[in-house]
Amino acid sequence: MKSAEEFAKFFETSLQVPLAELEQKRKQIVFNIWISLLVAFGVLSLLSIFIGSAALIIFPIAALIVFLIVRFGFTKNYVQEFKDKVIRSIVAFIDPSLNYRSDGFIPMDTFMSSEIFKVYPDRYNGDDFVSGIVGKTQVTFSELHAEYKTETTDKDGHRQEYWHTIFKGLLVIADFNKNFEGKTVVLPDTAERLFGGFGKMLQSWNLMRGQLIQLEDPEFEKLFAVYGDNQVEARYILSTSLMKRIVDFKNKSGKQIYLSFVGSRIYVAISYSKSLFEPRVFKTLLDIRPAQEYFTDLELALGVVDDLNLNTRIWSKQ
Amino acid sequence: MLLIGLGVLAVVLVLVYLAFYNTMISKKNQVTNVFATIDALLKKRFDLIPNLISSCQTYMNYEKGTLTQITELRTKAISGNLSDDQKVDLENQMTKLLGGIKIAFENYPDLKASQNFLQLQAALNEVEEQISAARRAYNASVTDYNNAVEMFPTNMIASSMGLAQKKVFEVPEEERKNVNVGELFKK
Repeated sequence: MKSAEEFAKFFETSLQVPLAELEQKRKQIVFNIWISLLVAFGVLSLLSIFIGSAALIIFPIAALIVFLIVRFGFTKNYVQEFKDKVIRSIVAFIDPSLNYRSDGFIPMDTFMSSEIFKVYPDRYNGDDFVSGIVGKTQVTFSELHAEYKTETTDKDGHRQEYWHTIFKGLLVIADFNKNFEGKTVVLPDTAERLFGGFGKMLQSWNLMRGQLIQLEDPEFEKLFAVYGDNQVEARYILSTSLMKRIVDFKNKSGKQIYLSFVGSRIYVAISYSKSLFEPRVFKTLLDIRPAQEYFTDLELALGVVDDLNLNTRIWSKQ
Repeated sequence: MLLIGLGVLAVVLVLVYLAFYNTMISKKNQVTNVFATIDALLKKRFDLIPNLISSCQTYMNYEKGTLTQITELRTKAISGNLSDDQKVDLENQMTKLLGGIKIAFENYPDLKASQNFLQLQAALNEVEEQISAARRAYNASVTDYNNAVEMFPTNMIASSMGLAQKKVFEVPEEERKNVNVGELFKK
């Protein structure tokens, strides 16, 4: 793992040039956005002379549509270039043997086989796929956003769609260092408070989880609830030291953490509210702070291997 | 009317009794079940021992006494007809002896370089980690069972069923002490 100082040096020597190039593009995009908005404003003002007060309603909606088209239409290439130049080189800086695919992500069936989330997503996408070997441990992760849909119909027959997030953040998958056969899932104990509104999710959690496993570490128990199909195996996986390490990892990340142990792998889902590894549009790129954030988030995901001690291969699985 | 009321009350009481009764049975069986797992794991460990002894004997000159003791314990353990308490006792002794021999491995680089031995050591580590997990599971289920035996209202049902509290696994006094390496080599 690289330190923050090493990263600062890397930022100075290797990221300044590509960021300066991208900064030019960013300024151009911001300029284009303003021009488009001005043109749209002009056209709408002219229109309002002809259609009168109805323009007052159309005006803000039209402005918003124009803005969104311009914002995402103009930035597509810029985002792509940013990922290929900046994120790719930060990944390589952390470990040159890692693979990075900006448009790749962990497939939905893998997401479902983690057993962490039981609700089947109606919309699923992601990006920033990283894979490689850290020490002796195969590890992959990507950003994901999974959502499900609910629909309501009012008495006039109008249908309204609502989208609810199942998970948004990083899903890290690593080869676990012990052999096991069953399934063990570690969920945040605050799930009820957080997802109180999402009855669908809560129900499926409670009914489909198998046995509740009560562990001895009070700090761990306060943060997590463990479900599994085998009391002994769950404790074999969640050794006293691993429980401690999971608590430390959770505290270090400051995020909501979900874990599962299925099919000899460990899945760690780290929940984020923001989109990760995206360039800024309305602020300068030449600042080190956003770059540091990309670096910290990448290191957090790869840190699963060391933080949870997955390179210790003293059991029969090598 | 009163009769119907009493009838309903009786049915409710019987149902409540049955529910608690079944809870107690399932808790008791959970304990037995986990103990059986420990037993199976101990057997798994005993099965590793002949291989371990034969790998070590060629290299280890100073721990012959310990190796013999381990073999003796194993013979005693697989002879059968042991009570649960005796099994636990044997297991504790075995854990202690194996712990000592594991420290001694460090002094034999030739032994540690052997692939066969490394696999054996990994298997032993694994089974010991599993035994420790099973002990924790056993203690958790015993605690759960003991709570039910002591707490109201299940305690009334438990006493009518003649269920008594069970003991949790305790780390033997010797294991709590720091291992005295020097002492081990005198053997």
